[in-house]
Amino acid sequence: MNDILNTIKEAVINRKRKEIEGLVDDAIEAGIEPGLIINKGLIEAMDVVGEQFSADDIFVPEMLASALAMKLGLAKIKPFLKSGDQPSMGTVLMGTVRGDMHDIGKNIVNMMLEGAGFTVVDLGVDLTVENLMEEIENLKPDILGLSALLTITLPEMERAVREIGDKGLRKNMKIMVGGAPVRKAFAEEIGADGHGADAVEAVDLAKRLIGK
Amino acid sequence: MKSTSYNLIMSALYKGMKGERPPVGNPTSIVCHGLMDLCGISFPEAHLEPQAMAELALAGHEILGFDTVMPEYSVDQEAAALGCKVDWGDRNRMPDSRHFPYEDFSNVKIPDDFLEKPSIRVVLDALSILRRHVGGKAAIIGKVMGPWTLSYHMAGTQNFLLQIGIEEKEKVHRMIRQLMPATVASARAQFQAGADIVVLADHATGNLVSPRHYEEFLLPIHQELTNTIEGPLILHVCGNCTDRLEMFADAGFDGYHFEWQVDAKTAVEKIGHRMCLVGNVNNPEVLYQGTPEDVYNQVRYAIKAGVDIIGPECAIPLSTPIENLKAIVSAAHEGY
Repeated sequence: MNDILNTIKEAVINRKRKEIEGLVDDAIEAGIEPGLIINKGLIEAMDVVGEQFSADDIFVPEMLASALAMKLGLAKIKPFLKSGDQPSMGTVLMGTVRGDMHDIGKNIVNMMLEGAGFTVVDLGVDLTVENLMEEIENLKPDILGLSALLTITLPEMERAVREIGDKGLRKNMKIMVGGAPVRKAFAEEIGADGHGADAVEAVDLAKRLIGK
Repeated sequence: MKSTSYNLIMSALYKGMKGERPPVGNPTSIVCHGLMDLCGISFPEAHLEPQAMAELALAGHEILGFDTVMPEYSVDQEAAALGCKVDWGDRNRMPDSRHFPYEDFSNVKIPDDFLEKPSIRVVLDALSILRRHVGGKAAIIGKVMGPWTLSYHMAGTQNFLLQIGIEEKEKVHRMIRQLMPATVASARAQFQAGADIVVLADHATGNLVSPRHYEEFLLPIHQELTNTIEGPLILHVCGNCTDRLEMFADAGFDGYHFEWQVDAKTAVEKIGHRMCLVGNVNNPEVLYQGTPEDVYNQVRYAIKAGVDIIGPECAIPLSTPIENLKAIVSAAHEGY
C-alpha cells in the first residue's frame, strides 16, 4: 500500500499530471481508503512542494504544475469520499483587494489551504470592501484572507481591514494578509491578525488563528 | 559638464562624468493623488489624452524636481492595442485588463496599424509634446512592455506560467517570439517621437520564476531586443532579482531599474561596472508608509552604495504622500 501512496506522492511532487489519474485509480482498486490517498499521497506531496517553494528550489510554474496534478488526483477521489471522511478544518474566505487583478499568489495559498483540509471560498480579484462585507455576512467564515500584489493597492488592504472592523465583523473572524509587498510590519500596522510571507506560512498561520 | 537634469541623467546612464549631484529619475510612475491635485490632471484622462498625459509627466519634473519625465503610467498600452479589453480605472485605481485574447496560445496577430491604435498613439503624442516642452532640459523616458509581460496579458499570467511548469516549452517560446515585434515597434516609435531613453519592463520577477527560466526563455530574446532597438534601454524587472543580475547585464541593457529587495551595494558590486543602476527606494514601507526622514536615509544609502540614478523602486501607491517624493529629490540634492 505504501508503495502506491508513495508513487502518488512522487507523481505530484514531480508534476506528472498525465499519470496521476491512473495512479489514483490503481490505489482505489487496491482498496486503499480515499482519505488515506488524500492525506498520505496528495497532501504530503503538497507539503514537500511547499517546502521546495519556500526554499526557492522551485518557483511558481512548477508549483502550479504540481497543484494541477493534485487537483486532478482529488477530482478522481472525490466520488469515493463519504461525508465525514475529511472533516473541514474551518472556512477561509479569500480575495484580492480592490484595484488589484493579481491572483496567482492567492490561488497558491488556496490550493495549500485546501490541501491542509480547510474549506476555501475564493471571491476572486478586485474586491470592494462592500463585496467583502456582504460575503462575510453571508458565509460567516472563520478566517478572511486578503491579498495584494501591487504596492499601489496596499492602501485598499488597509481600508478593507479598517472598515470590516468598524462594521463589527471581526468578532468571530480573523483576518490574515499576504502578497509580495505585504510585510509583517505593515500587517501589524493595519491591524490584521496575522501575515504569511508565503503559502506555507499562510497555512501555518491559518491553523494557529483557528487554534488548531 | 553642466549639471542640468538632462545631462545628469544621460551621463549617469552611460556611467560618464559625475555632476554636482546624483540625478533623480522615474522609469515607472510617480503619480500620486497629491501630484494629480497640484497639476489638476487625474486618471483616467492621463492614460487616454496626450496633453493630459504629458502635463502630468511634466509635473513630476516641474513640481517635484525629478530630472526625468515619463508619461506612461499603466502597463496596458500595448495590451490594449493587441486586443485586450482594458479597464482604464479611475483616480484611485490603475488600469487593468480582464480578458486574455490568446488564452489558447493560438498564433498572435500584431495588427498592421498597431502604432496607430489609440493606446499607443497617445503615448507617442505625449512624448512629442514633452519633447517640445523640455527636450534637452529634462530626460524624456518612454516605456514599453517586453514580450514576457505581454504574454501575461495575452494568455493570463497563471496560464502562461503553468505552461512553463508543465513543460509546454514550444508554446511558450512561440508566444514570446511572436510578441517581440510589438515591443520593438513600440520602442522604436517612442524614440522617434521624442524619448531619450526607453524603459523595457518585462516581469520575469524574482518571486515568480527562476533564473533558469530567465536564461532559457528570455535571455536570448532580450539579447535580440537590445541588438535590434538602437536607443538606450533600461530594463525593469520587479522583485528580488539578486540571483539573475549578471544575466540582465549579459542581455545588453544599458541600465537596470531595481527594487529595494535587491540590496544596492550587492547590485553595484555585481553589475555596477557593466550597466547603469536605477532605483531603489522602497515603496510600501518607506515611500507610502514612512517619513521623509526614512526616505532620506534610503536615498543616502543608495547614493553611498553607488546607485547611478535615484528613484522609487516601481510605480508608487497612489496615496503616497507627496512630501516623501520631494524627500527623494532633496536628499539627492545634497550631492554625492
